[in-house]
Amino acid sequence: MRPSFFHHLHPPTIPADQARWRHTLGAGGTAVFLMLILGVTGILEMFYYIPTPEEAALSVQTITYHVPFGGFIRNLHYWSAQILLIVSAIHLLRVVFTAAYSHPRRFNYLLGLALFVLSILLDFTGYILRWDVDICYPLLTGTNLIKTIPFIGDFFHRLAIGGGEACSTGLLRMYVWHIFGLTLPIIILGIWHAFRVRRDGGIAVPPPQARTDNARISRNELVRREVLAMFIVGIALILLSSSVPAPIAPAMDSTPAAIREAASQSAKAPWFFLWVQQMLKWGDPFIFGIVIPFGILILVAIIPYIFPKPADSDIGTWFPKSNRLAQITMGLVSLIVILLTLLANAN
Amino acid sequence: MTQISRRDFLKLTRNGILYLSGLLATGGLLRFLSYAPTAEQKTEFDLGSADQYPLGSRTSIPEIPALLIHAESGFTALSLTCTHLGCTLEPNETGFACPCHNSAFDSDGNVTHGPAVKPLQVLRIEITDDRNIKVFTA
Repeated sequence: MRPSFFHHLHPPTIPADQARWRHTLGAGGTAVFLMLILGVTGILEMFYYIPTPEEAALSVQTITYHVPFGGFIRNLHYWSAQILLIVSAIHLLRVVFTAAYSHPRRFNYLLGLALFVLSILLDFTGYILRWDVDICYPLLTGTNLIKTIPFIGDFFHRLAIGGGEACSTGLLRMYVWHIFGLTLPIIILGIWHAFRVRRDGGIAVPPPQARTDNARISRNELVRREVLAMFIVGIALILLSSSVPAPIAPAMDSTPAAIREAASQSAKAPWFFLWVQQMLKWGDPFIFGIVIPFGILILVAIIPYIFPKPADSDIGTWFPKSNRLAQITMGLVSLIVILLTLLANAN
Repeated sequence: MTQISRRDFLKLTRNGILYLSGLLATGGLLRFLSYAPTAEQKTEFDLGSADQYPLGSRTSIPEIPALLIHAESGFTALSLTCTHLGCTLEPNETGFACPCHNSAFDSDGNVTHGPAVKPLQVLRIEITDDRNIKVFTA
């Protein structure tokens, strides 16, 4: 059989170990699939979304309540975005817990981390595009947080929302960042990330001499498994999107007084930033809102560079002894973020 | 000083020019993106005749947002923007509370609970000759 285009995207054969669910959890592939859904549903939403402060929230209502299947498309977009963050986090944990970041994959680890950060920013800007009463305080505090950075804060604030006061302005910038300024880099880095996976020798497994199982699978089998994974995730997304609607809130009246009146009813950050909001309650916004979150990001980024290189035979095995320090670091970071999120949700 | 070959010199020049133009273009792009197109924010608010605010009254002006206090000593306007990250404060029994990060202030605007550290801003007030109150936020 002559391979199709989709088959050609894969190597002719790969070690069977690289494609086991219990090894990869299917997380990276699921992330790619979710991004494709996000692209398609996002473009569909653009047919109706109007990025002006007066009409944005109303156009979201139009999509949700009037356009045939509009609510469903929007739910798909919303749920894909939320699940993407969770799947990306699982992917990152898998890579650290199986020592897969080790040389020569250190650079690709950084690319992956950049993709994760871009996904978070895309999720945040997408949330802001609702432009209803719920988005005001997260946008206001988020952009005021940028301003607290010494020397360059004001510059980045203008870059983000074009100056002015967050709740009455900034929508156009958020729109362009969302559909272009963040999306273009995530596409480029995403393709680069996938290319590097192959260039670096496929998914991390021990070298041939250290493998217990030298079986290989063909690209037909690989594509079959990918299609199966897409099918399962697709069904789950369809079920979720037809039963749990994406959040929506009343449009805000664009007078400052009305914005403030409405916004004070919902001062909660979107779920993936709850941990930062919780820390902000503790003191200086620059320290707790910028230095510590970025410190954590840098700590995660330098894991492959500061800890001892895992043993070759350990690469691609779960929780090997030779990268304990990296596992503990990553485990603690995840635990802290989860605890802070629960704490923020509790009060 | 070691001799540099013509080939190396040209290569260095070429790379130098390329990097320099890349740097200039990036600088230009950042300047392009950092322009603030939005109109100046309103900083002057006319609250109408001072006689509407009797002695002892504390009136919330959500438009600013601020609290106009008329005491024995005269008029004061207290900003209701939290000094931490800018959310609007909500009045309660003891003063004001911030819905975003739990900062609290007493009724004079002093911090009673962090994370805010600065007291609420007292806004400049002008009473015109025809007894109109004007509040300035900047």
